[in-house]
Amino acid sequence: MTFETLTLLVPELALFALAVVVLLIGAVRSSAYVGRGPLAEVSRGPAGWTTLLGLGATFILTFTVREGASLLDGAFVQDSLALFAKRLFLASAAISLLGSLTLRTGAFSRRSAEYHFALVASLLGMSVVASARELVLLFVGFELMSIPLFLMTGFLKREAVVPEAALKFFLVGTASSAMIVYGMSFVYGVAGSTMLSDIPPPLRDGPPLLMLGMAILLAGLGFKIAAFPFHMWAPDTYEAASPPFVAWLSVAPKAAGFVVIIRLYLAGVGTAALVWTPVIAVLAGMTMVTGNLMAIPQRNIKRLLAYSGIAHIGYMLVGLAALSSSGVAMMLFYLVAYTFGNMGAFLVVQAVAQSEQSDGIDAYRGLAQRSPLLALAMLLFLLSLGGIPFVAGFWAKLYVFWAAVERGMYGLVFLGAVLTVVALYYYLLVARRMYIDAPERPEPVQVPGLLGVAIVACVIGVVGMGLYPAPWVTLAQRVASTLFS
Amino acid sequence: MGLQAYLTLAAVVFCIGLFGVMTRRNTIGILLGIELMLNSVNINLVAFARYSGDVTGMVFTLFTICITVAEAAVGLALVILLFRVRRTVTADHLDLLKG
Repeated sequence: MTFETLTLLVPELALFALAVVVLLIGAVRSSAYVGRGPLAEVSRGPAGWTTLLGLGATFILTFTVREGASLLDGAFVQDSLALFAKRLFLASAAISLLGSLTLRTGAFSRRSAEYHFALVASLLGMSVVASARELVLLFVGFELMSIPLFLMTGFLKREAVVPEAALKFFLVGTASSAMIVYGMSFVYGVAGSTMLSDIPPPLRDGPPLLMLGMAILLAGLGFKIAAFPFHMWAPDTYEAASPPFVAWLSVAPKAAGFVVIIRLYLAGVGTAALVWTPVIAVLAGMTMVTGNLMAIPQRNIKRLLAYSGIAHIGYMLVGLAALSSSGVAMMLFYLVAYTFGNMGAFLVVQAVAQSEQSDGIDAYRGLAQRSPLLALAMLLFLLSLGGIPFVAGFWAKLYVFWAAVERGMYGLVFLGAVLTVVALYYYLLVARRMYIDAPERPEPVQVPGLLGVAIVACVIGVVGMGLYPAPWVTLAQRVASTLFS
Repeated sequence: MGLQAYLTLAAVVFCIGLFGVMTRRNTIGILLGIELMLNSVNINLVAFARYSGDVTGMVFTLFTICITVAEAAVGLALVILLFRVRRTVTADHLDLLKG
């Protein structure tokens, strides 16, 4: 291992160091806690701030990595897709942290080091997944990402619904991991090597075991991104876990799943990848239909956003189904737009839940009169998720459909367009409660400062991408073009 | 015995595990099913490694075994937590989250 190898691994090494530091802070804190001395008060909450600063530093460090480098005989690459994904993971984790730092429940101040250690460990797993071009590394990264997520879901362990949600998430997550690694075993058996570059392209008359393995793998990855029919864990998990964590959970692991799908099924196989078009197109259509239709009857805002999130996974799969450079680029653009819109919506949910003690849609009655700015932010996020012009989601949907039309998938695009109208219905139901219904209580909703910063960051992202999408499109196209050269 | 026999054995074990995951009412039983699924992977990997004369598959197996243990630890911890809070480990009783 030379010095150059280490410079290429800087983001991962930084995250690892950060995880160790956060863990040590926890150890020091708990011993200070016993003493009840002045240290006990000073040490309240440094884990969260350290993590936030560390994530910022790691984000900056990703720009020092030479793009396109590969190490360990090509098993680990820092190409533009990997760095793009890593910046997305880090930015979304930082936004989520701004939200969770304002949580004042006992568990978050007593065991904050545990929570932040799990967060950083999961981030490290995601970074490895984004860069891995080797099956063992991919699997280990996937597990390093998933296992801390189970722990974080069950973090508020005293509440009645939390263990249930965590256990459901765990059982589905591990079963899907078993499917992923079972699929991998066939791919290894046929390729005779665990390097992704040695896997033969998927051909109709190719080895049947390879196609079987790839199909099982796709099913396992479907669980991870919560695509139909593997989506049932998402609403339960989202409902029980704390909103800032859910905001991140609904974005970053999904992004990691998409990166893996791109690496396994598209990158470097050329037109042979078109074998997967029908499968992914059907998956996309079914996911859009289920997500949108199941969202309509929901009375809990977190479940509504969970089902709408499933629908958005379907829209991203539409872009992926095109299996073209523009399709992947538009999917990545969609991913960024979805990150800002969905995280923002969940952060508003946190603000309202903290002041109203309720996740019901009815808690939003008259929000526009009580806290006009918060209601406006929520409206922008909902419009972005719904795909209204001049906010980010509009361009995202337009571009994804465009990429699918280029491949002649008119039926899928028509279905998606119809379902967009359905989606607007349930988003506007929330908007109606905020703007038309009368408030039950007059006093404004209290928004803690840091949470406000996070919401403003999401608003800037949504509106900025909506008014001026060009730089993001260029970035996404540049990332995608490197995969198809 | 050829490679095919081992692959068939692994497929049977995997399917038994999957069947257990889908039909068991006790969460411990579901965990056992998942363990079976993960163990069939090891049979597959070792068989492929043996018949292609390549050690990578065996190294892969070591990793899957370690990760399986980590998962089982987290899973059992969650089951214990569930039992403390709700006094049940039966999947049918997990109905607080619906809709």
